[in-house]
Amino acid sequence: MSTGQTILEIKGLNKYFGPTHANKNIDFTLKTGEIHGLIGENGSGKSTLISQIAGLYGHDSGEMILKGQHYDPQSPIDANDHKISMVMQELGVVGTLPAGMNVFLGRTDKFTKFGIINKKQLNREAQAIFEKWDLPRVPMNKLTDGMMIETRKMIELARALSVDPDILILDEITQSLSLNNRRKLVDLINKLKEDGKSIIVITHDVEELIEITDTITVLRDGAVVGNVMSAETTPDEIKQMMVGRAMEGGYYREDMVPEYGDEVVLSVKNVTVKGEIEDISFDLHKGEILGFCGLSDSGIHSIGKAVYGLSKLQKGTIHLNEKNADIKSAPQALRSNMGYVPKDRDNEALMIHASIRDNFVLPSLTELQGPIAFLSPAKLSRLASETSKQLSVKMTGIGQPMDALSGGNKQKVNFGRWLAKDLKVLVLDCPTRGVDVGVKAYIYSLMKQAKKDGISIVLISDELTEILGMSDRLFVMKDGKITKEIRRDEDFTEQSVIGVMI
Amino acid sequence: MMKNRFKAADIIPFISFVAIFVFFTIASKGAMLSAFNLSIILDQSMITIIVGCGVLFVIAQGSTDMTIGVNLGLSGVLAVHVGLAIGHPWAMLPLACIFGLIVGIINGFLVAKCKVPSFMLSIAELIGIRGLINYIQTVISAEYITNEMRVLNTSAVKIPMFIAIVVIMIYIFEFTKIGRYSRAIGENETTARFVGVPVDLMKITAFALSGLCAGYASILAVAQINGTNMQMGVFLEMKTVMAIFFGGVLVTGGASAKIYKVFLGALSIQIIINGLGLIGKSATQIQQSVEGVLLLLVLFITMMASRGRKIKPKEIEEEEKAAVQG
Repeated sequence: MSTGQTILEIKGLNKYFGPTHANKNIDFTLKTGEIHGLIGENGSGKSTLISQIAGLYGHDSGEMILKGQHYDPQSPIDANDHKISMVMQELGVVGTLPAGMNVFLGRTDKFTKFGIINKKQLNREAQAIFEKWDLPRVPMNKLTDGMMIETRKMIELARALSVDPDILILDEITQSLSLNNRRKLVDLINKLKEDGKSIIVITHDVEELIEITDTITVLRDGAVVGNVMSAETTPDEIKQMMVGRAMEGGYYREDMVPEYGDEVVLSVKNVTVKGEIEDISFDLHKGEILGFCGLSDSGIHSIGKAVYGLSKLQKGTIHLNEKNADIKSAPQALRSNMGYVPKDRDNEALMIHASIRDNFVLPSLTELQGPIAFLSPAKLSRLASETSKQLSVKMTGIGQPMDALSGGNKQKVNFGRWLAKDLKVLVLDCPTRGVDVGVKAYIYSLMKQAKKDGISIVLISDELTEILGMSDRLFVMKDGKITKEIRRDEDFTEQSVIGVMI
Repeated sequence: MMKNRFKAADIIPFISFVAIFVFFTIASKGAMLSAFNLSIILDQSMITIIVGCGVLFVIAQGSTDMTIGVNLGLSGVLAVHVGLAIGHPWAMLPLACIFGLIVGIINGFLVAKCKVPSFMLSIAELIGIRGLINYIQTVISAEYITNEMRVLNTSAVKIPMFIAIVVIMIYIFEFTKIGRYSRAIGENETTARFVGVPVDLMKITAFALSGLCAGYASILAVAQINGTNMQMGVFLEMKTVMAIFFGGVLVTGGASAKIYKVFLGALSIQIIINGLGLIGKSATQIQQSVEGVLLLLVLFITMMASRGRKIKPKEIEEEEKAAVQG
């Protein structure tokens, strides 16, 4: 096969998971003899994209053209028949089956006679694949359960290679390999390339990606944001594309000076949550917006949970000065006039099948109680309808189920219900995730108002521009630790943050 | 779409209640409607409804409490025995409630703190506590309440007792934090926890209320048979849980849990049992088969009704577009 021809073309591909728009109008071209890198933050849609190519999911709209023909695989086996195979990020071997069987999983028909699998022949052919591609030896008859992750990855690789693929997809495979096997894998990829095959590689390691690929496509929030030649790019450029966003002017804060009271409202000391964050200390002042930024797995989201009393602290204290108490549980945080807007709106924040009213009043029930713990339905309805009117939530009525609302309106309820309370501290984890521009601007204006009212805000966000746009101070996190603190009047730029972030 | 789901789940129980009522009225040639018969139906639904109001808290949270039958049995047997032993037979009234409450609290603790799945706990106790009841009854043999206490089985006492507990439960379930928090836990436990609902405490509370109602109901059960025996509360958990689902509460609990559904379901089932008797098909085998088939039917309808939960992406997209444009 000659190289440089288009083997796979993807046009306007869209994929939804429930309300999540995981892939947005993806255009993607793969050539023969090309090693194509895919990179993006967690949740940017890489895995979704390749899963559609490999037949794990169907797509919702758009088209895939393979070798000039319409391509719509119904299953991974169907994709295999089109000579496309994949090694997945999560372990994909069946532990209770021996190595050889795992290589030919789902394709044992050709070894089967009268319903009995000829294991000898199967193992021989599996062995042949390992030899052909110079993969490390694996005992074919042994169950894969007890094997090392690296060995299991090799079995998966052999399985992918056994279909003699024209397109091989490798999803984050290098991170589980030793240096030695990594080198072997690179050799193998290059060998495939020489044969005119195409390879799609996903990895978080930017330097590695640039080194081994020809072309790199960068994804962000489910959309393609850039396509560059590996030889002509730098790690910094890729990182910028992955994380940075153009400042969408107007709705952030205009001032460039930190402005908050001297009074420390909440003081976090040496907090460690096992496997999540380590030795975190900071003071939150009255009327301050304190930003936390970092990659998704840097521990920023754990900060929010810990501050609201949802995590088991291995060490350290979260002290609320007004009550002179340490926050040890979420009910206590709720009682102490704290609020928390978690990241995953539909699964962590809202009861999406319940009514808007039920969602609205949930954090305020204690305050709404009358004598003998009586909750007057009229009082609850009044709170819900008045506040949702203030927030101009688009709905037919407060009795409407939550999931009839659009993402932006859901977020208005999610955010607004806390503002109906007399809050001291509000923890916001990605408050503008998945909402449109209008609602986004509105949420920022609510934040500014809350700040003016003396509410202290912990703002956690994947969006760097949001943190830069709103915070008085920001902390950059990496690997569960705070690596840098920047005040609004200091070097408050994307560059200075991204440098320490990745 | 969601509106339809709630409508379906809410209306079907009404329709089936009416259908069952009409069917047996016609089949029994009107015997169903006699005042005497109606009072029997109400009388026989009482225990199911009392116990059901308690269990509803647990079911609203998306769990299940099938220990109520054995709890009723144990509370009744112990309360009568202790009451007679200390020479104050009337003490069985508070004692029954206390014993029921204790069993409920222990259950709640096991589920909330020790993370025992409520269903497994139920199975274990269905066997274990029933064994205990049988053992106690073999050792101390069946006991009888005093003649004065028979007044408990008269309408003049029974009905106020019934109304009192039911009103309290309605109040707690519909008009206090406990009820709202319980429904929130059933809707989405993570959400409840993340908002700051004391989830563990609420679980223990729900099981405690369930146990309390079982203990309370054991007073009526004892009064009905003038004492205790091994058969107390046998199959009651099935009948109660079935009534609740039959009334239109979803297995997942949450906002679908409403007290009136307990009444609706319990009465429906009692009418079936009563009606089968009226038309001469009261043999246990037939009765149980009919109940079994009906439960299947109810679960099927529930499944069908909850199927609307998946949201089609296209609708969402259009919605979002509309939201941006609007």
